[in-house]
Amino acid sequence: MADEIEGREQPHRERPEIPKPEPPERPEMPKPKPPQPEMPPPPRQRPEEPDPKPPKGPEMPPPPPPEQPTRPDVMPRPEPAGVPPSPGGPEITPPPQTPEVPPPRQRSFLAERPETTIEAPRARLEAQSRRDFLLLGLGLAASAVGAWWLLPDRTKGQMVGLARRDRLDTLAARVGLSRASREKTLDRALTFDDDVAEALYSRNRSVRTYRKSDVTPLRNNYHGQTPGPEHIAGWSLGITGLASGRPELLSLQQLLGRFPHHEQVTRLICVEGWSAVAWWGGIRFADVLAAFPPAAGARWAALRSSISLDGAGRIEPYYVSIDLDTARHPQTLLATHMSGAPLPLDHGAPLRLLVPVKLGLKNIKAITDIAYTSEEPADYWNERGYSKYDGL
Amino acid sequence: MPSPLDTVRVVPKHHPLVRLTHWINVPVLLGLIASGLAIYWAAPVFLHAYDPALHSRDYLANLGSAIAHSIGDRSVDPRYWVYERLSLGPRQLAVSLRWHWALAYLFMLNGAVYFVGLALGGGWRALLPRASDFAESLAMMRFYLGVIPMRLLRRPWPHPDIRSKYNALQRSAYFSMSLFGALAVLSGWAMHKPSTLGWLERIFVSYDGARVVHFVCMIVLGGFVIPHVILAIADGWDTLRSMVVGWSTRVKENTHGR
Repeated sequence: MADEIEGREQPHRERPEIPKPEPPERPEMPKPKPPQPEMPPPPRQRPEEPDPKPPKGPEMPPPPPPEQPTRPDVMPRPEPAGVPPSPGGPEITPPPQTPEVPPPRQRSFLAERPETTIEAPRARLEAQSRRDFLLLGLGLAASAVGAWWLLPDRTKGQMVGLARRDRLDTLAARVGLSRASREKTLDRALTFDDDVAEALYSRNRSVRTYRKSDVTPLRNNYHGQTPGPEHIAGWSLGITGLASGRPELLSLQQLLGRFPHHEQVTRLICVEGWSAVAWWGGIRFADVLAAFPPAAGARWAALRSSISLDGAGRIEPYYVSIDLDTARHPQTLLATHMSGAPLPLDHGAPLRLLVPVKLGLKNIKAITDIAYTSEEPADYWNERGYSKYDGL
Repeated sequence: MPSPLDTVRVVPKHHPLVRLTHWINVPVLLGLIASGLAIYWAAPVFLHAYDPALHSRDYLANLGSAIAHSIGDRSVDPRYWVYERLSLGPRQLAVSLRWHWALAYLFMLNGAVYFVGLALGGGWRALLPRASDFAESLAMMRFYLGVIPMRLLRRPWPHPDIRSKYNALQRSAYFSMSLFGALAVLSGWAMHKPSTLGWLERIFVSYDGARVVHFVCMIVLGGFVIPHVILAIADGWDTLRSMVVGWSTRVKENTHGR
């Protein structure tokens, strides 16, 4: 695709690298050039034209071709609007060899070529056509193979049936396009996007806040069943990975009594695409981090709810990873209140994370444990194919 | 073996970067729409009141039911017809998001190459709207509407005399598709990073505003493809080939063709 068609150009010889802006009307019309006719005259009367460009290779020896064989297999039928390729063979006098110093070709690769007729060697056009169509075919084939490789198994089964899908998958795996390599490749897209998000993040940038009258209904999107009230009475938050080396166990009263209360009305955005504006109250995660500093070298917080339930009501812990830079964001709360009342069970009583710079799935409900770590901890939804960073 | 002396009169048409980015857009946009619809399935933004007959609140589910019943496709849940047949499928959110990010970065890179090439090479001039475009658009529409009737009547129906690279309809279509592509990228970022890029989210009024604009961009870009492909095929092999090889054998004589 890189090179352009080479040929003897009729009207223009020299063009600046980037053509100057022309009047808005008819910009493509070539600029008038005194020495040569604007439009190529009909072939039969075409005058001889000097060509300062030396021919490359053996394409243009001096004698004119006695007959122009038409090759309908390569050059399609002449279009009615167009002109058959050089019908009057003998009349087209090829340019004489110019031994004089040819000006070097100055056109930049990016420059748009003027829409003026050029005389191009048929052999070169054919070679370039072959190459370009081959590239197009290769691109289409690569797209088809790549799409098959990256499609989810269920989608492929829907498309071609399970038996044929497995046969094609076996073939693809033989050239290295396996399910494992698919997951690796798709994960790379995710981590690249996460790196972009992390680079854009700033702890000093506040997320948009709303008025209390903007509050919209927030659905309970617990993945499994909603935990009951029985754990609230004896609830306490365990913190490990502290600089003191001792684990802490804090009750709700201790947290509320020790740290100032903050309120904010922010939007919670789910990875599924829905969102809701809610009025939250709670303590700043940053205040807890300042009062109970993590051990040196800690960069992550692993937040865990060990009372979370699966769809059948069995205990299935939920856990998220939060980088400490995000945890220290002033709008990152350990929320205890919603709409001015203590958190309801649906929304993570008695303590949940509210981190409006992250997707909803990081806003873990009913937190029981926080652990500070130097290595990135496990994340429930990351293990199920979602982003690890989830920055908004 | 053609004689090395043979020459063909051709007109340069499309810059290599235009051709490259054009064809890259084909699989990339297909993949973006397929993964985007699968993402949309997880939480449709165009919702109506719950319909107990269709068990749905989603206009696309209604559309899917209508299509599935009219073509008699019983192999999938009719409510999910659009999502099963035109997307990566329902309940494929995690994989669809990863597809969408990978292809979105490709789409942005491809668009950047296209725009930079047009800006530096001067190709943008052929796409810029002109004062005469309205009148020329009407002439082109009149021509297109008359092509088939006049052929049936065996009356001559000459193409309007267009002296520029594109006619006004092409120019406005290609120009606006660039804008819709850019708008799709901007609304996509507004949805993707509404906190980091809060100013961008506000341009679209709200988070859901960006979602609606993003969806409409998909409809417009997808809708453009239908007349685009029909007209390119109707115009003939030379037009299709010129987007692959870059030149056309429709040599402009004293009066211009296209």
